[in-house]
Amino acid sequence: MKAEYVNSFYGATQDVFRLMLDLPVEKGDLKVIEGMVCSKETNILLGITGDLKGSILFGFKNNTALEMVKIMSGMELNEIDNFVSSALGEVANIIGGNAVTNLTSYDYICDITPPQVIVGEYKSMSAANKKSLLIPLKTDIGEFDVNIFLVEK
Amino acid sequence: MMWKDKYRIGVDLIDDQHIELFKRLSEFIKIVQDKERPWEDRLDNVKETMEFMKDYVVFHFDDEEEYQKSIGYPDIEIHKEAHRVFKEGVNDYVKIFEQGEFTEEKLQEFSAKLMTWLIMHVGKMDQKIGEYVNSKEVEA
Repeated sequence: MKAEYVNSFYGATQDVFRLMLDLPVEKGDLKVIEGMVCSKETNILLGITGDLKGSILFGFKNNTALEMVKIMSGMELNEIDNFVSSALGEVANIIGGNAVTNLTSYDYICDITPPQVIVGEYKSMSAANKKSLLIPLKTDIGEFDVNIFLVEK
Repeated sequence: MMWKDKYRIGVDLIDDQHIELFKRLSEFIKIVQDKERPWEDRLDNVKETMEFMKDYVVFHFDDEEEYQKSIGYPDIEIHKEAHRVFKEGVNDYVKIFEQGEFTEEKLQEFSAKLMTWLIMHVGKMDQKIGEYVNSKEVEA
């Protein structure tokens, strides 16, 4: 898994979190894991097409997810309803769009498919025996994961 | 509060309209999320606020483009394209609603997306107008 992918998605995540949520994001230790599994309660899956193919999975704990949408809306929220999941899906979509722009500087031309929000832990998203990269990220409102599974065309 | 002072670009006309947009969107979301009241009781209110928002977005974009023209803003065409895509996003939902799918779930989805689009547009793209105005003032 190339550093270019990590830099593109990590950079985009940092930019969007700073802009939309006023939150700095710190990277933890990268891990290579088997397959792609929803590791947290609220997950958003983005498909990547073009020079790179695969998926990106964002995993948030419910508290972190609610806090993110609370920061944006200025409203108290206490359940992951369609408003919260749509807002998260759109944030992931914006991160994906920015990451795809970042990837062009490494000569990868890609596109993203619309986000899918998956509620529930431990659902496997891809065939076994495929390795993906997990970037654990830290913010003041909790930790979250970005899971990258990409292969070159 | 949804509006943040960091969204200011330093042009009163634009900033005031942005504040109004955020205020209306905030009211819209509050009605959509007011789960204490049955959806049927909120429907008229939702439709009314949504109608205003839809028109106000167009009104504001027109004013903003007019302003950009008046100051010779170099990225006006890129900005107009972003406005076009934004309006298209809104109109796609208007069509869904006109076809009768005026459900609480669909409105939650629409208001959430509108919120993120507005934050990104005002928080990122519109800031460049402010930066351009500032650079001109420094030159002058």
